[in-house]
Amino acid sequence: MSSEDKKDGSTDITDEKQSDVVGLSKDDAKKYYEEKGIDLSPDVPTKPKPIPQFEKSMADKISSKFADKVHVDYIRADRIRVVAKREDIVDVAKYIRDDLRYDHAESVTGVDYPDSKEIEVVYHLGSYTDEKLARQVLTLATRVPREEIPNPGSDSSRTPSLRDVFYSVEFHERECFEMFGVYFEGHPDNRRLLLPEDWADIPPFRKDFKIKGR
Amino acid sequence: MSTIAPEFRLSRFIASLTDIIFWVLLIFSLVGLPIVFIVLFYIKLPVINGQLMTPYLAMTWMADPSRSIPIIKSFMHTTIFRVAVFPGFGFAALLAAATIYVERKFLAKIQLRVGPLYCGKIEGILQLMGDGFKLMSKEIIIPAKADKPIFWIGPVLFVGTAGAFVSLIPVAPGWVVANPSVGLLAVFATIGFFPIIAVLSAWSANSKWTFIGGLRALHQMIAFEIPLILSLLGIVILSGTLNLSQIVQSQEHYWWITFMPLSAVVFFITIIAELERIPFDLPEAESEIVAGWLTEFSGMMYGLIQLGTYLKLYAFAGLFTVLFLGGWQGPSIWPPFPQEIITQGITIGPVTAKFPGLPLFDQEMLNGTLWFVIKTVGVILLILLPRGVFPRVRIDMILHTGWYKLIGLAFINIFIALGLLYAGVLGPGGLLH
Amino acid sequence: MTTQLPPGISLEKVDDRIMTLNVGPQHPGSGHMRLIIKVDGDYIVSCDPDPGYVHRGEEKMAEYRNYIQNIPHLERPVIHDSSNILYPYCLAVEDLLGIEVPERAKYVRVIAAELNRCIYILYWLAIYGIFLGHSTMFMWPAGDRELFIDLLEAMSGARVTHAYLVPGGVRNDLPANFEERCLRQVNYFEKRLKEYEAIFYQNPILKARTQDTGILSKTDAIRLGTTGSVLRASGVDYDVRKKEPYDVYENLDFQTVVMKEGDSYARSYVPYLEMFESCRIIKDALRKMPKSGSVRTKLKPNPKGGNDEVYRRVESGRGALGYYIVSNNRPEPYRVKISVGSFRNLICMPYLLKGEKLGNMPAVYWSLNYWPVEADR
Repeated sequence: MSSEDKKDGSTDITDEKQSDVVGLSKDDAKKYYEEKGIDLSPDVPTKPKPIPQFEKSMADKISSKFADKVHVDYIRADRIRVVAKREDIVDVAKYIRDDLRYDHAESVTGVDYPDSKEIEVVYHLGSYTDEKLARQVLTLATRVPREEIPNPGSDSSRTPSLRDVFYSVEFHERECFEMFGVYFEGHPDNRRLLLPEDWADIPPFRKDFKIKGR
Repeated sequence: MSTIAPEFRLSRFIASLTDIIFWVLLIFSLVGLPIVFIVLFYIKLPVINGQLMTPYLAMTWMADPSRSIPIIKSFMHTTIFRVAVFPGFGFAALLAAATIYVERKFLAKIQLRVGPLYCGKIEGILQLMGDGFKLMSKEIIIPAKADKPIFWIGPVLFVGTAGAFVSLIPVAPGWVVANPSVGLLAVFATIGFFPIIAVLSAWSANSKWTFIGGLRALHQMIAFEIPLILSLLGIVILSGTLNLSQIVQSQEHYWWITFMPLSAVVFFITIIAELERIPFDLPEAESEIVAGWLTEFSGMMYGLIQLGTYLKLYAFAGLFTVLFLGGWQGPSIWPPFPQEIITQGITIGPVTAKFPGLPLFDQEMLNGTLWFVIKTVGVILLILLPRGVFPRVRIDMILHTGWYKLIGLAFINIFIALGLLYAGVLGPGGLLH
Repeated sequence: MTTQLPPGISLEKVDDRIMTLNVGPQHPGSGHMRLIIKVDGDYIVSCDPDPGYVHRGEEKMAEYRNYIQNIPHLERPVIHDSSNILYPYCLAVEDLLGIEVPERAKYVRVIAAELNRCIYILYWLAIYGIFLGHSTMFMWPAGDRELFIDLLEAMSGARVTHAYLVPGGVRNDLPANFEERCLRQVNYFEKRLKEYEAIFYQNPILKARTQDTGILSKTDAIRLGTTGSVLRASGVDYDVRKKEPYDVYENLDFQTVVMKEGDSYARSYVPYLEMFESCRIIKDALRKMPKSGSVRTKLKPNPKGGNDEVYRRVESGRGALGYYIVSNNRPEPYRVKISVGSFRNLICMPYLLKGEKLGNMPAVYWSLNYWPVEADR
């Protein structure tokens, strides 16, 4: 079953593969759930949470500095998410490092969005030096174009490397490069890290790379 | 019916057995017996009880047990017995094997384990034999780019040199394979072969790990040979001889360790380093260089190296005993041979068997061997047991220890020995001699 | 330099002196990874880590399974610390699905996580011992692990791969008389730990080998983004359990272990001291735990996360361990990223090993608290 073409979540509870009452037909399963009193509505309660003050002030600093270049996605307890364009990401990262005192990257990862033809590169930034920021994780994201037929390193999926800003992203960016095909410009060492040297398939964490048997 | 031999027929099995027996008998009588008689015709036969031991007499020992003892006794005085069985190879290997077993149990107790447990029913007493058989049955793999003749000959050379070293150790008065008047120098010369063998086999295997390990072995052994030699000079000065048997005799009243504990400590440390034992097992440091210069050896080639290492271990422990702990000297605790067996024989029911030629060994020799074995086993255990408490040192630390500290201590010890000699306390014509 | 040399003699080129060593993947001192090391004599001139030999695509696999099905396979990267690697997953899924965890389950989780941390550290310490040629230090921790493995077996039914923590609590309640048994074994273990100090950490040879080797300064530790015991051994007081307390850690009494030296000795000493703190946490949690109550909030079958994302982290045996889960109204997560301590500490390896002696390689390498399987994921 392909997970990307079914966006509507309300029908898949009766999907045979996903249902935990394997062996029942669709109607039987529906009846089973109704008898049990289990509702099939979305599972996440949608109660609004208060926006915490400290995180709000941090996010405000970024958005006041960069105005419309950045977009603050959400502000939650201990978590801020900021999206910047890839042209600006080095400036934003430098500001975050120098003025907000985030000093290291916890992880760098990619998220593949084939529908919008984009790959999102996500940096999770944290701080050891600032006691107030110790429990904060700032998510800095940027989007790069996604090629239908990837050619890692020489197609348009590229973004400036943050290695000069946060030294700790070195191996994480290497991993992101081989797993998503996002080339990091200015990274000194854009080699394979985890994949074997003779890997000849597309980058494996893209959504169009299928696991055998699934 | 077992699946191993599904077509098993008892009649065919018996037929095949008789077949084998027939062919063995035929070949033995046509080829074996003539060879036996030709050999017996040419070799020089001993004279036993006043009559020449002919092949006929030799083969009747089974019928008459009283004749076997003189034959054994005459065999015991041949060189081949000394080399192969008593104070030579067999004795050393047996002693080393027994000590390894005890060491494994001891180490297991330190580490809260049980050690060998199953092989041989009683506390895994046959484990070592099992390990040996395992090594023998393993395939020998030669690296493709190895220098094959040297690679093949390396383990053999190693065992040979270790055997040569063993042959120099006196076990009991008069019981030594080789007794040169410069025995200690012969020991030094024999030890000097080991780094060469290590480097040769390391180089011939054509592997990076063996290369590094061989260089480490070379560095380490050479760095520790000099303090080894220097630490023993004090004993030579005080006893006035290089012959190992005479060094033992010179310790009739005092062991040299009482006057030269410094020398004993230095010598003991160099032993551990020469044997590549933890904490000085740099040439075989597993986590750094796989197995050092032994990396490419497999099967019985590795087994031979291990055998050589244990022979070397026995020889070094024996040398320590001979030089510092008085060798075979010790109070007489072995009971004398009962005289009535010699005079009256053993009476078993109606039969009275007389055994001419008893006793096989005299009391002095057995007592000396007992004391030697006790002391040597103690020293071997002391050499092996640091494994339980020490980690491995680093190559620069060990070289620094060898070149700076131990040589200095060895020189201090020489001065102490010279002082004792010129003060007239010890040495030839000294107060305590 | 243009020195006039006699005919027939040429200067040795630097390249001739360099020898490349493949430490791993089939090397007793590497684990499931490869270190491409270049040595000049006894000195390492460059080190290039090459992980990935046990890459299993856990993150990709997680995209094909729903939130419950993901539990048993996500603990596979580090089975010795399986509770701690599942902990942030459970926290993240609880955030996504909006599940409240019963109070007793929070304590049980903490106990399981701390027991598992001790199991991991003992295993790590055993390998550190044998890497340094100390065979007793291999056997003792490997034997004492059984204390905790037995406890976790009683809790979860499995000896190694527990899969005990689930979103919404823990899989099942504690067995009868667990508190007394746990307390007894933990007290015994604390006595045993003191003996480790005598035989291993106070050993002069060990001190000479590990002290002043592979020094990671505080600035560099922060700059390289290290985590866990490596970070704390370099003098940075950072422990997720203290800084961002999850579940009931803020109610429990423990300290962060920090050392200033930043050398291999400190890096190996910090996890050892953390075991004492873990014992303290376990005993404190046993005392404060509600004696009865539910331990699991049942999830709906096949629960769906909203169109949301979440990043949660805990302190594992190897440092901060975070899960980044993106969901898109589906029963399966859209993307799961496991940010593991081992992978974050990997960057120290070329940095620290350069210029060290070859003999220091195992001492520095394994002191980084690196678990190759976890780093590959």
